[in-house]
Amino acid sequence: MASYSLTEEGKEYLEKGLPEKNLVLLLDNMPQKSATLGKLIPKVKNFPIALKWALEKEWVMKKGDEIILMKPVPEEIPEEEALKKIAEGKEVDEEILKVLIERNLVQKVSETYKIVEEGLAKSGNVIDVLTHEILTTKLWKGKKFKAIDVTQVRKKLELSKISPGKRQPYNQFLSEIRKKLAEMGFIEMRGPTIETEFWNFDALYQPQNHPARDWWSTYRMKQPKFGLLPKKFVGVVKKAHEKGVAGSTGWGYKWDPRIAMQLMPRAHCTCLSARTLASKPKIPGKYFAIARCFRPDVIDASHGVEFNQVEGIVLGEVNFKNLLGLLKQFAEEIAGTEKVRFIPDYFPFTEPSAQLSAKHPELGWIEFGGSGIFREELTYPLGIKVPVLAWGLGIDRLAMFRLGINDIRNLFSKDLKWLREV
Amino acid sequence: MPTIEASYQDLCELIGKKVGIEELKELVNFAKCEIDAVDGDNLKIEAKDTNRPDLWSSEGIAREIKSRIFKPKFPEYKVKKSDVVVEVDRKVAKVRPFTVCAVVKNLNVSNAFLSQVIQLQEKIAGTLGRNRKEVAIGVYDYDKIKPPIRFTTVKPDGIKFIPLDFTEKMTPKEILEKHPKGKEFGHLLAGKKEYPIFIDARNEVLSLPPIINSEYSGKVTEETKNVFIECSGFNLKFLMPALNVMVAAMADRGGEIYSVKVVYPDKTIFTPDLDPKKTFVDVDYIKKISGLKLSLSEICKLLEKANYKILKKGKRIELLYPAYRNDIMHQRDVVEDVIISYGYNKIEPEPLKMKTEGKVSEAEIQNEKIANIMVSLGFQEILSYTLTNKANIFQKMNLKEEKVAEIENIVSENWSVFRNWLLPSLMEFFSNNQHVEYPQKIFEVGNVVLIDEKQETKTRDVRKLAAAIADSRVGYDDIAAVLDAFMSLVGVKYKLERTEHASFIQGRVARILFNGKEIGIIGEIRPEVLENWKLEMPVAAFEIEIENLI
Repeated sequence: MASYSLTEEGKEYLEKGLPEKNLVLLLDNMPQKSATLGKLIPKVKNFPIALKWALEKEWVMKKGDEIILMKPVPEEIPEEEALKKIAEGKEVDEEILKVLIERNLVQKVSETYKIVEEGLAKSGNVIDVLTHEILTTKLWKGKKFKAIDVTQVRKKLELSKISPGKRQPYNQFLSEIRKKLAEMGFIEMRGPTIETEFWNFDALYQPQNHPARDWWSTYRMKQPKFGLLPKKFVGVVKKAHEKGVAGSTGWGYKWDPRIAMQLMPRAHCTCLSARTLASKPKIPGKYFAIARCFRPDVIDASHGVEFNQVEGIVLGEVNFKNLLGLLKQFAEEIAGTEKVRFIPDYFPFTEPSAQLSAKHPELGWIEFGGSGIFREELTYPLGIKVPVLAWGLGIDRLAMFRLGINDIRNLFSKDLKWLREV
Repeated sequence: MPTIEASYQDLCELIGKKVGIEELKELVNFAKCEIDAVDGDNLKIEAKDTNRPDLWSSEGIAREIKSRIFKPKFPEYKVKKSDVVVEVDRKVAKVRPFTVCAVVKNLNVSNAFLSQVIQLQEKIAGTLGRNRKEVAIGVYDYDKIKPPIRFTTVKPDGIKFIPLDFTEKMTPKEILEKHPKGKEFGHLLAGKKEYPIFIDARNEVLSLPPIINSEYSGKVTEETKNVFIECSGFNLKFLMPALNVMVAAMADRGGEIYSVKVVYPDKTIFTPDLDPKKTFVDVDYIKKISGLKLSLSEICKLLEKANYKILKKGKRIELLYPAYRNDIMHQRDVVEDVIISYGYNKIEPEPLKMKTEGKVSEAEIQNEKIANIMVSLGFQEILSYTLTNKANIFQKMNLKEEKVAEIENIVSENWSVFRNWLLPSLMEFFSNNQHVEYPQKIFEVGNVVLIDEKQETKTRDVRKLAAAIADSRVGYDDIAAVLDAFMSLVGVKYKLERTEHASFIQGRVARILFNGKEIGIIGEIRPEVLENWKLEMPVAAFEIEIENLI
């Protein structure tokens, strides 16, 4: 048998009573058991319907402008009883069902209620299968779920019947870059998301009064607040900042270990390079990292508070010409162009520093990388005696171009339809 | 890095040659600048070197260009002696202990001069001066001041003067409350019992640093001929170069610099000190770092183009450089100037010859393997932020709050904590895609951050996999089948054990055990949780740690 459910009107009547009943109840409360239309209309909702059915059922009669009660109010009204039963998913008499359908109080919705019924175990108050319908009808409220055997895998997955899944395209793009860099001889570095300022700034010879360390350019942690400093390097890094090492004058200020201990979400992945230099890297050696970084930027189409950076280092008997050679190779192998330009740039931890512009076949000239040779004030305290080339690549624009998107936020797309189709 | 505005015509005049805009775009690279936008005569320039305030104005940029396109002439600045005295009261030690000052005379104050000087003053105080905290700069009409000038303190209501751009006399307290600059920078004087003040021999107030100048003498216009400049703050190391940069820029426009005698209770100094500074660079070091084959005379020419003066040639070249520079800490800094003079784009890039073996990290290899398995099981990979909020990871998941890595200076509550589990990211994703066809099967492989007191950073990153199915009917058996297939594909023998979890329906949730250790959770999501995410479809999900899994 088909299932039925209440229409909006049906639900309303179930809750507030049939209009004809409400009409006769009102009349019954009046001393003369009658009233004029003018009096009744404002007081009875759906008055025309109420009157139509009350007349048809001969509960009232109409005399000119006056409505007179003919019978005492019936205790049970078949329609109301039927609405109740239908709402509970029980069967009702065919005849009355017909009337209700005619009155548009009930509709045939075979699927929905069948599933609800099935979802409710026979006992009525315990849910067997939680379904969309049980959720939308809120029938789960106040009910228990039937416990099932959770330690057995009853359904065996039939792989052949499964629709294809897909990789997240931006993640896949990052995987490709990762493989490309490994092919170019770079070893991947990893490190913690939350860093001490020591590794994020101090070990990179960024002075504690540098504007980039200010409140508004990087995040600080509220909890946990302080990390530990690496004993081996604290003294020499302090010296590098205060008085200088390796022939440098230093920044000449009083270095504060409490500031260096503060924790922050890493603001760049250069901290991974610093950690690598501090842990006896291979020389000659090449390292890279692709890592999530965090900055309190205003969010717009080209800024996010969380983004990926691609960075790396080369250790060995290398010089500025090699740095440009490496940048050119990146432009060729990753951006797909041989046309490059180099522009003087500034980073507090490299000197000399260079920006790489690459002429992408479609995008035109794009800023593709920042780079330089690490300062000796940085490498010396970490025990490195050879020049270290440092580079970072801006690959997000390439990724956006590849994926055909204009908003950087969509690299972390929330749109399933797009992910399925792209 | 500061962004400055400049007039194209004015810049050309300072350079001494009319250069085309395209050529200018190339030339400003010598000053580590880039022209971001051209709007008629107005240029928007990005000055990239945060450590060289001398390059944050047209005068400084022109200096670097001039020496590269003409025969270089070492920029030397003569400082004449004046009899202007600034007396520093002992009382300022508690509020703003230092000042350095100068007088510049015979200026031809043009519109361009005014806009550049005001801009330079703002950029120095903003960037180098950390928004006036470390360095505040005041420029005054010298002819309206009667020296000696006193740098002293007053009570917040101890004096009245008309602040710049106002018409009424106000006390310092009123200025902090009512003047826009007082509102903006008043916090720098918060809690002080007395405020710093510059005042002249007639008791006319020059300024209330670091807030505002007076209307009387603190206003420089095209009529101004001579100016008095002071920089105040907490560290002479910042103040000296700030003053030098300011007066050098004015001198480049024809001003004559005069020194000021600044008398402290314990010492007397004459400022500004524009004597060139000494340094050196080794020829071999230049060759080693640059990789360029250069002769000594070539190197010397390149150094001169970068505004150095050669004192002594040899294996070690002894040098002088102008006092407006404060960035040279190591001979590496000199090497960069040589390379910039040579021209980055004239250098033939040289490929690296070293042979090294590259490697993707084990963690990423595993992540990818796991992602590919989930794809083969028909799941769509998603990627979300690790930054989220407490509502998402606790309240909406029907969990009690616990300690989690939390950010102090948030830009939005939405990104205020690091996720400590992945499933909320998946729930949020479902929540955003209710209009998309079901069934929806998604997964994410990603990091969560856990508090861990034992670690150096007091936190630990943990790699996890979470997978979930949303459909009109989906249950424990569906997701258990996926977990089972996944585990058999990665070759892991696991066990399921009944447990309870506030996010999952009671009786329909299990712990996932591997080698006797709990590595994850699986079950049907509670309707309350689904409602919290406004989901109308049931969800079954699992989440497991994948560190050390394969």
